[in-house]
Amino acid sequence: MGTILKVENINYGYVDGGYRREILKDLSYDFEEGKFYTILGPSGSGKTTLLSILAGLDKQESGTVYYAGESLEKLGLYKYRRNKIGVVFQAYNLVQYLTGIENIELAMTETDNEVPKNRKEIGYALLEKFGIVKSKADRLVTHLSGGEQQRIAIARALASNVDLIFADEPTGNLDTATEQEIIQIFRMLTEKFNKTVIVVTHSNEVSKLSDHRVFLQDGKLQDID
Amino acid sequence: MNFLNRAWRYVTRKMSKSILLGITFFMIGNLVLIGLGISDAANNAKTLTRRSMRAVVNYEVDNQKFWEYTDSLESDEERTEAYKNYPKIEKEIALKMAKDERVKAMNYSASSPMYSQGFDNVPLGNEEKKAENGGGGAVVMQDGTQMEYVEPNIMIQTNIVPETIEFVEGTNTIVDGRMYNQNDIDNASPVAVITKELADVNGLSVGDTITLSSTDKNQMEYLLTMGITEEMTKMDLEIIGIYNTKADVDPNDQRFDWMSAYESPKNFVLIPGSTYAQFNYASSKASYDYYVSQGNSDMYGEEPTVETSYYANKVVYLLNEPLKVDSFVDDYKSELKDYTFLNANNEQFKKLAKPLDTLSLFANVIVWIVTLNAVVIISLVTALTLKTREFEIGVLLSLGVSKVKVVLQMFVELLIVAFLGFTLAVGTGSLIAGQVGKMVLDFQQSNTEEEITTDDNYYSWVGDQNYFTEISQDQLLENYNVSISVWIILQIYAMGVAVVFISIVVPSAMIMRLNPKQILLA
Repeated sequence: MGTILKVENINYGYVDGGYRREILKDLSYDFEEGKFYTILGPSGSGKTTLLSILAGLDKQESGTVYYAGESLEKLGLYKYRRNKIGVVFQAYNLVQYLTGIENIELAMTETDNEVPKNRKEIGYALLEKFGIVKSKADRLVTHLSGGEQQRIAIARALASNVDLIFADEPTGNLDTATEQEIIQIFRMLTEKFNKTVIVVTHSNEVSKLSDHRVFLQDGKLQDID
Repeated sequence: MNFLNRAWRYVTRKMSKSILLGITFFMIGNLVLIGLGISDAANNAKTLTRRSMRAVVNYEVDNQKFWEYTDSLESDEERTEAYKNYPKIEKEIALKMAKDERVKAMNYSASSPMYSQGFDNVPLGNEEKKAENGGGGAVVMQDGTQMEYVEPNIMIQTNIVPETIEFVEGTNTIVDGRMYNQNDIDNASPVAVITKELADVNGLSVGDTITLSSTDKNQMEYLLTMGITEEMTKMDLEIIGIYNTKADVDPNDQRFDWMSAYESPKNFVLIPGSTYAQFNYASSKASYDYYVSQGNSDMYGEEPTVETSYYANKVVYLLNEPLKVDSFVDDYKSELKDYTFLNANNEQFKKLAKPLDTLSLFANVIVWIVTLNAVVIISLVTALTLKTREFEIGVLLSLGVSKVKVVLQMFVELLIVAFLGFTLAVGTGSLIAGQVGKMVLDFQQSNTEEEITTDDNYYSWVGDQNYFTEISQDQLLENYNVSISVWIILQIYAMGVAVVFISIVVPSAMIMRLNPKQILLA
């Protein structure tokens, strides 16, 4: 098991009401390949900020994030987002004028990773694994339930054949039963497909089932277990 | 699912927005089509009319301007001095212009009414009426004596080159013998080419000789006192050619009843310019010598030469293409001496075309206003809808879609809608443009009460011919026909692309500022 994502001395802060607020302070951490991580922490501790930096959606003020030994700056944030990671958001973040299958195809088209030519068939098969049948996959995502949309969002994160999945409160809008289903999916991704999953959550139910529970406080990450 | 696919799906699935935007493009398209159609029709009408006109440019003395200049002089002495240097056309410049590849023929032509000696002119058919109206009359000479005036009956037409406009255009065609050639011109040969009618009336044929006189015998006695002999007033000319001419006098002309025989093209005798120059020189020199002997050389000016004895009031150029007239004038106007100009009869044409020009201007202004408004409206709509699409943009950016592709998607979305809107507008615009165009022209005409007159600078000299095609405003407006051509359709699509392109600039700047984290994790 090697390190897939390495965070080294990153700092991040912002000015609020004339005062500078440090969110992340010399934060360092190594995320191992094929593991399910949950990041916990009080509101405002910087969990989402950290996730956005790890996902290449934002830039740290100092320090370096390495993906498979290569810094994100060197790799290029667009390229990193396109080819190396998938992101699942609390609000699903699907393109609303597209159907479920089209959202999957979108990720497959954009990536530079090798994706088979029969994308549609692969997409339907992928969605079926997450419990989305073809008739539902062909509907506009706005016509699907929250759980179904989140499953599609996870499937989309995987569709581009990436190794690293980030999720920000992925079960925040879902009922308990669906939350359990989503957690099982994440577990399956790590166990069966050797994907690394990093989830930001408030939920103890989610964190209990992860391999590593990490706590963010005072700008630093600490393993709980 | 590339950006083209996404654009197509957005347009087809966000139907209400697409329809609203499509209607905007449709209305813009109609207005622009009307504008372009009217402008195009106005320009076409001018071009078609221009094409139907003779491609003629005159090199003339600007008499009006020169007279205004002399009027501005303070003393009679100054005026007398100015008149001694009366502006004239320069042979060197005239010949330079004649060599231009756009010139088909040149008439550097002097003409003079003459008296036939021993042969008759071709009757005009107005002789009886003219006699009733009291033709002829008395002439008071310089010394106060009176003598009966007898009208000349033949017109000699000369040119310094053999290729005259009338022969090049086909108005005149040789039916027997030949036209005088460069050799005849170089040697000032006493040769003539006469009309078939003149030959028929007098039983003349090629090889015969005719005599023309510049003076009626009644005036001879007076001229003898000035040193001009009868010999000097006569020209014996060998007929080398007989030609047929399509030109004729118009019996419906208001002046017909008073017309002189020499005004009829059937009574024109063509001779080389050099022959006429020699002939003129003899009497001019005698006259000059007489004035010198009388101590009045100032009255005559400089001693005449053969060169100065040939004077053309204007040089007429026939060009090979009516639409090249303006460029020809532009190319040479800077080379002309003061008080001479190139007259393409533009002033008259401009006056006639004024309603069309106003219409064209109006239409172009409409096109510009609509286009600018279109840019503003589409920019605003796109920028405003961008706010509602921030989330989608954030998603695309989080998936690694580049901002350029996001902008391109929106550009294509607008293009699709614009294409549909403009395509519908092409159908309706062609129907509306015709009606609106006619309505606006009628309105424009009813508000234009300007009198249309012919070119003010045209001062007619004896023997001068007007080579310009006379057109009426009705003829010009008959060519005004609003229709939507392929060119206009291409223009409107090009304009559509331009409008969409410019309209996307502001929203693009907004997209470029977007940060996926701010959008998605706010």
